[in-house]
Amino acid sequence: MSQDTLVRPVAAAKSKSARPQKKRALFAGDVRLGWILVTPALLVVLGMVGYPFVEAIRISFTDRMVGRGPGRWVGFANYEYIWGWPGFAEMVTRTVLITIAAVAIKTLVGLILATSLNQNFRGRDVLRGVFMLPWILPTYIIVLVWRWIFDGQTGLLNQILMSFGFISENIPFLAQKGTAVALLIFVMVWKGYPFYALTFLAGMQTISPELYDAAKVDGAGRMARFRHITLPGLRQVMGVVILLSTIWTMNTLEIPMLLTGGGPSNATEVFPLLTYHLAMQNFRLGEGAALPIMMLPVIGLLVLAVAGYMDKEATQ
Amino acid sequence: MTQIVDRIPESVFRVISTVVIVVLFAMILFPLYFMVTTSFKFEAEIYSELTWIPRDPTISNFRDAIFNFHIPLYLSNTLLVAISTTSIVVVVSVLASYALTRLRFPGRAAMARGVLFVYLIPGSLMLIPMYLIIVKAGLKDTFPGLIIANMSFSVPFCTWLMMGYLRTLSSEIEEASLIDGCTRLRSLWHIVIPLSLPAIITAAIFIFNNVWNEYIFALVLAQDDQHKMISVGLANFYRSDYYMIGPMMAGSLIAMTPVVLLYILAQRHVVGGLSAGAVKG
Repeated sequence: MSQDTLVRPVAAAKSKSARPQKKRALFAGDVRLGWILVTPALLVVLGMVGYPFVEAIRISFTDRMVGRGPGRWVGFANYEYIWGWPGFAEMVTRTVLITIAAVAIKTLVGLILATSLNQNFRGRDVLRGVFMLPWILPTYIIVLVWRWIFDGQTGLLNQILMSFGFISENIPFLAQKGTAVALLIFVMVWKGYPFYALTFLAGMQTISPELYDAAKVDGAGRMARFRHITLPGLRQVMGVVILLSTIWTMNTLEIPMLLTGGGPSNATEVFPLLTYHLAMQNFRLGEGAALPIMMLPVIGLLVLAVAGYMDKEATQ
Repeated sequence: MTQIVDRIPESVFRVISTVVIVVLFAMILFPLYFMVTTSFKFEAEIYSELTWIPRDPTISNFRDAIFNFHIPLYLSNTLLVAISTTSIVVVVSVLASYALTRLRFPGRAAMARGVLFVYLIPGSLMLIPMYLIIVKAGLKDTFPGLIIANMSFSVPFCTWLMMGYLRTLSSEIEEASLIDGCTRLRSLWHIVIPLSLPAIITAAIFIFNNVWNEYIFALVLAQDDQHKMISVGLANFYRSDYYMIGPMMAGSLIAMTPVVLLYILAQRHVVGGLSAGAVKG
């Protein structure tokens, strides 16, 4: 596990050392210094993450509202209310389906792009730089631009379709259920897949070309080489990227908030957005705090899976 | 399927991958191209019909964004918060990651594990308590409030990133320096920090970028103009029923310039420092 890797370099150096006596003395001051160096970070984490986390749990058991004092203790009332809310199951399903769709498409397009870029040609580094743009550009800018493009009245997409004569009337892309969901996933993919591609590409470049040559000599086809050399070589990288990205995608608030605001008729209202609406629009902080806590088991399982992968990676 | 793919000759395969790259490339540039061209168009042209090149280029949108929509003020607010957050976070995280990967003290293993978990706590869970705490502390609509909110997710992230790097960095030189009588702190300052400078720069860029690109906490924590972040300022163009596309595109172009410049300057570091942990979105 990770502890072993942490200790390993020190232990290895120790066994090599010709002066074990002095070596032991090297770590004498570590306990105090260690705590001193960790303290600022620990204070930040305890004060700015730990304390709010505990507060979130406490608030979820109250009927606290914005600007109306601390609220009363209501036990599990908020949880029961959300659980019993008719749209709850639908919202969870929606969140999970949108997340799965976005992650699956990101993975697929990322793999295709990485495979295509994994060849030698001129200008590859420049291309790679441009493909990084969606990842580095601010999400709000990307979403605002796409929202204007998809706009039902003055949007660019309508203008383009119109100028080519494909449509004669504007289509309200973001005001129709089907297209709104599809475009939400599209923007998530657009923003996310380049990062997948570039990490996959980095992973592919660590695979020894000799493996491919040997497989070719043995008569393995392109698909066989991909399946038996590329994919196994990428397993570690892919596992970490997909799991982490699933967590981020599921928690994405900016994209649905700025693109559709959850509409039309809640078709794109995913769990982070509902949390925001409960707390900041309905001012019901207790319910707003309870909802993400109810989603915590799902995210917790993903986090444990990531931690498992990371440990494997660290010990390899 | 397998057989079909295998039978494609190498030359055709190259053509297919070129087509894939070209299509995806076009999809990346499409919104950006129209963002840039639209920012130079007059309003009438934006709303009337599709033009690939501005018919009558104008800088009125930029003038609007700068003089009527306070973009320079929001930019300097954002710059202040981003630089303060980044400096504090880098110092705090480098110290912690050094201790967590190099020093031996009780509690280290647990803390080293905890970093990842803390980093992955969903932002939607933190939003409400953080908002209440900041309000209670009287820090709403202040820069310290924004810096605190940004630090809360940057410190675990940066510590985790630096720990990953330090683990791959051989500790032999450090060991040698310690045997020669160098103190831990001197070895940290003269050996570890210079050696991990590329990782520190990468981490700093990620943090700066994250603060610059943050929208939700900025929206909730600072609503007055004097402390508004650029993200909130730009999204406000869409608030009203009247869409101000021209100034918004001009403002977006201005707002993304620092991030893109920073990235171009440091591309080598960022690509080198690409680790799975930097996935966001």
